[in-house]
Amino acid sequence: MTTISTPVEEAPTGAGLVGRPDVNRKRMARLGWAFSAPALIIIGAVTIFPIVYSVAMSLSHVNVTGNGISLNGFTWANYSLVLQNSTWHYALGFTIIYTLVTVLVELALGTMIALVLERLAAGRGWMMALLLLPWSMITVINAQLWSYIYQGTYGVATYLFGVQNILGTSKPAIVALMIADIWKTTPFVAIIVLAGLVMLPGDIYEAAEVDGSSDWSTFWRITVPLLRPTLALAVLFRVLQAFGLFDLPFVMTNGGPGTSTTSLAILGYNAMFKNLSFGPGAAVAVTTALLVLLGCLISLRTFKVQVGKEGN
Amino acid sequence: MRKRKRTGWHRVINGVNISTLVVVVFIAAPLYWLIASSFKTPAAMGASPPQFFPSPVSGANYSQAFKQYDFGVYFRNSLIVSLVATALVLIFATMAGYALGRLPMRGKFTLMVSLLIISLFPAIAVIAPLYVLLKNVGWLNSYQGLIIPYTAFNLPFAIWIMRNYMLGIPKEMEETGRIDGAGPLRTIWSIVLPMALPGVFTAGIFCFTACWTEFLMALTFNSVNNYKTIPVGIATFGTALQVPYGTIFAASVVAVVPIGILVFIFRRFVISGLTSGAVKG
Repeated sequence: MTTISTPVEEAPTGAGLVGRPDVNRKRMARLGWAFSAPALIIIGAVTIFPIVYSVAMSLSHVNVTGNGISLNGFTWANYSLVLQNSTWHYALGFTIIYTLVTVLVELALGTMIALVLERLAAGRGWMMALLLLPWSMITVINAQLWSYIYQGTYGVATYLFGVQNILGTSKPAIVALMIADIWKTTPFVAIIVLAGLVMLPGDIYEAAEVDGSSDWSTFWRITVPLLRPTLALAVLFRVLQAFGLFDLPFVMTNGGPGTSTTSLAILGYNAMFKNLSFGPGAAVAVTTALLVLLGCLISLRTFKVQVGKEGN
Repeated sequence: MRKRKRTGWHRVINGVNISTLVVVVFIAAPLYWLIASSFKTPAAMGASPPQFFPSPVSGANYSQAFKQYDFGVYFRNSLIVSLVATALVLIFATMAGYALGRLPMRGKFTLMVSLLIISLFPAIAVIAPLYVLLKNVGWLNSYQGLIIPYTAFNLPFAIWIMRNYMLGIPKEMEETGRIDGAGPLRTIWSIVLPMALPGVFTAGIFCFTACWTEFLMALTFNSVNNYKTIPVGIATFGTALQVPYGTIFAASVVAVVPIGILVFIFRRFVISGLTSGAVKG
């Protein structure tokens, strides 16, 4: 199914076993923790500890020392520095607009592709395989490929569309990044939507046809509402990914020209690993993480509401 | 699946085919450009107007990627890191997925939701502390310095996948095993695992792809040439003034082919993973 299933507490599994059920059950629970321990320890050490440490860093005076960093006392300074910084303002706006535009375009294109492929009589398997290629491609390769396509003097885009120096000019560079992103991830959205479409019940469509519903209204009144969980899922994944935008601008524009393609992740990375300002960098990283969580919640909510309205 | 009978049937089929063709061109054109350019000579790379078909067809970029640049080393590093991390993820995720799917543990629900939330965190939020941690234990520029973070970051999704598959296996199967006197590990290995194999494939292909394509951590932790992975190698080929696109594309084709074949073979599992609701693309 295409919904985010929440785990359901299982009925006791020990009941049918031979021997004394309670003892067995306790033993099984202990076994469960023992089996989960390696995974939980690794996850705890490599994700939870760093997340907590990042928050601590963002709230401390951070000094860079010989073999790492030291935290010297609590402060809000990192956050106030970041919140007043005009580059951060720009990066925030850029990341939000980039996320909105790419996700909406990918959703529209992906749904269109899925609708076409659903009606395809033969060769759908091959199309799925083709759709998976951009998905499995290393983003850095995608970035290099599009850099070459956009190359200022001999790039094929420059030749075909007569636009000079695409990646060296602010607005064209932003659009160019979005196109590279849309090429890579629209197929991903199409696959998710197609899988959702295939599972829709057929009799509703027959009923709609009998009632004389037009294709357009069938799509908005039946397909979209039924597809809501699938679409919400696709949006969620894409928002998560787009908001953490790093690889594409790092390779294609290095955040430039100027700061015009500096995403929040690029800004945080540069602050920490180029300028060694770990405190402000951590503040950027933590706010980005919070915004991602917030963005997921908002996109799930608004998306549901909007689609719900369309369906009524 | 639904079937729609409509008037103007032929016209619709034609429309569908034409649209499909547009989709194919949209996806395939940049891929064609990547492959075609990898066979161009340096002079043809910079030709204006561009050469739409490489002539002469040259293999020079391929030999250059492996001889002048260290692409062979990057390829080996990517392979080691991705394979080991995937193996570890599959082992730990199968055990944890079995426990969370089938054993009576308290707090399972909280645990599963926590895993979901952890997998939402962007890498940028953990990169600095991990860097400091790895630096302190001397694991910057090492295989384990990437293998361990990759294992941790891919585990939550793999555990979800494995748990979902475990839930679908009939309980009688493993009880038979237990009554026959098989220990828990043996029961998992010889009864549960074969039935959860689709889950293993799905989790495996996702984990491998994620490790193979990961950039931010690889860039930050392994900056020495001997430990660079493919994405870092490809991003840092050449200098600021001169980007050797031909070599980059030859290396890219070599990097794309194995994962492309893998994804093609396991496409059924990839699609089931994409639609099972716990993946970050």
